Amino acid sequence: MAEFLQLVVSGIATGAIYAVAALGFTLMWQAAGVINFAQGEFVMLPAFGMLMCIGVGMPLWLAFLVTCVAAALVLGYAFKRGIADPLIHHGVIPLVIATLGVSIAAKSFVRSGYSAMAQQFPSPFPEGVFHVAGVTVSFADAGTLVIAGAIVLSLQAFLNRTVTGRAMQAVAQNTESARVLGIDVSRMVLYVFVINALLACVAALLITPIYLAKFDMGETIGTKAFFAAIIGGFNQTRGALLGGVLIGVMENVVGYYLSPAYKEGVALVLFLLVILFRPEGILGRREERKV
Amino acid sequence: MEAAPSPAPATAPIIAFDKVVAGYTPSLTILNATTLDARAGEITLLIGPNGAGKSTVLKTLFGILTPTSGEVRFEGACVNGVPPRELLARGIAFVPQGRNLFGSLSVRHNLELGGFTLPRRELPSRIDEVLARFPRIRERLDNQASTMSGGEQKQLEVGRALLLRPRVLLIDEPSIGLSPKLVQDVMTLLRALADAGTTVLMVEQNVRTALKYADRALVLEMGRLALDRPAATLLDDPDLNRLFLGGHARPAA
Repeated sequence: MAEFLQLVVSGIATGAIYAVAALGFTLMWQAAGVINFAQGEFVMLPAFGMLMCIGVGMPLWLAFLVTCVAAALVLGYAFKRGIADPLIHHGVIPLVIATLGVSIAAKSFVRSGYSAMAQQFPSPFPEGVFHVAGVTVSFADAGTLVIAGAIVLSLQAFLNRTVTGRAMQAVAQNTESARVLGIDVSRMVLYVFVINALLACVAALLITPIYLAKFDMGETIGTKAFFAAIIGGFNQTRGALLGGVLIGVMENVVGYYLSPAYKEGVALVLFLLVILFRPEGILGRREERKV
Repeated sequence: MEAAPSPAPATAPIIAFDKVVAGYTPSLTILNATTLDARAGEITLLIGPNGAGKSTVLKTLFGILTPTSGEVRFEGACVNGVPPRELLARGIAFVPQGRNLFGSLSVRHNLELGGFTLPRRELPSRIDEVLARFPRIRERLDNQASTMSGGEQKQLEVGRALLLRPRVLLIDEPSIGLSPKLVQDVMTLLRALADAGTTVLMVEQNVRTALKYADRALVLEMGRLALDRPAATLLDDPDLNRLFLGGHARPAA
């Protein structure tokens, strides 16, 4: 039983990171109708941004803050104005293709401009473990859970308890009605892009110490975040959390009790099951738009 | 074809379209040199067959569409292309066709968003004002908007628009999906608003009912004004049915 709980706890921690990245997927889809297939690279780029800052002598916390500002400008503002805005009027497909292009360009840029080798990344948490009810928990897992949980809860509180958050939900649900009420739709969508960029920075901070910084690290996190968003419900922020945690826990359980070889296939199997039996996702609502 | 002569204006026009050309694409214009006006404190009913340009008039006035030529005036000032946010501040509110609520938000939060452009401190008193007019909304305040009946939803949409105390209310097909009793309720509400001084510009397919409550009817045909009559006289006008079946108004005498 202790073994199982151990797997669940560390699975929830890993899943929480997927959830943070998946939240970006759901927010972007809800508010702007954008499916960002460069989401994984949006996590990879801040990882290298932080490494560059650390390379010039900044402590990790300062490197993180500087990278957040840069990500908000480049992955938030510039991405919206330069890529999403001109293409969004042409439908979902051109934008999907453009984000795939961004993904390839970002990987090539980092591989040729920085390094093709995996880079060590400092953990924001101290090493070591502690014991709770017979379960051994690392400070890294506990810290990841606390930060990811705080991010998700803060985002939920922002969306549900502030006028701006509710205006963002209004834009997501009915853009034309929101505009008729005087809500600045473009500004609300920009907020979503900036929040997505910041979520990517947090995901980078949490996951890069585990996976190491590499130009193709975004492929894994991007794919799993996408699956997590679909599994939980692409139009529900709570769904992203559930999907991420489900994948994280199931990966650990399957990897331990069946074989580590099957671990990477867990997200795909869950994704296929959801698509077959509940295509709107576990917590999702049916809607006319389809991913 | 010339429009029928207008009755003598009782009050000054608050809204005027002067040879306005507008549409959804540059090659497809819906309003073709449309000239019409609406007077302060009246219910002006826009009617006509599908595609005549009724909703386009409202969208062009509210800044959702920009005229390619001509002039839209509000209180004498040109408002071509002025964005909705600024028009709300000037006193025009719009209730579009169909369901316009944010279903997953509560009734209270839907109402609050109606006052998005207001200073926060003014919101509570404005919401109380609206709730006094719509007691049914007060009862449902903490429910999710999607759980309300069609009539309640329409009341909430109108209430949300009234939160800004508009001087002009544009409303597109308010009777869609409502029972005859609820249609009467909505029309009675619009009549009360007009009697209190609000100018109402309404598009409505339920013409016979709407004419009973309106002061004036403008019949559009192919993006042009075909008839302009006091609403009461149009009910028995033989042109009315013909226009709705896609026929043409008789040339003015």
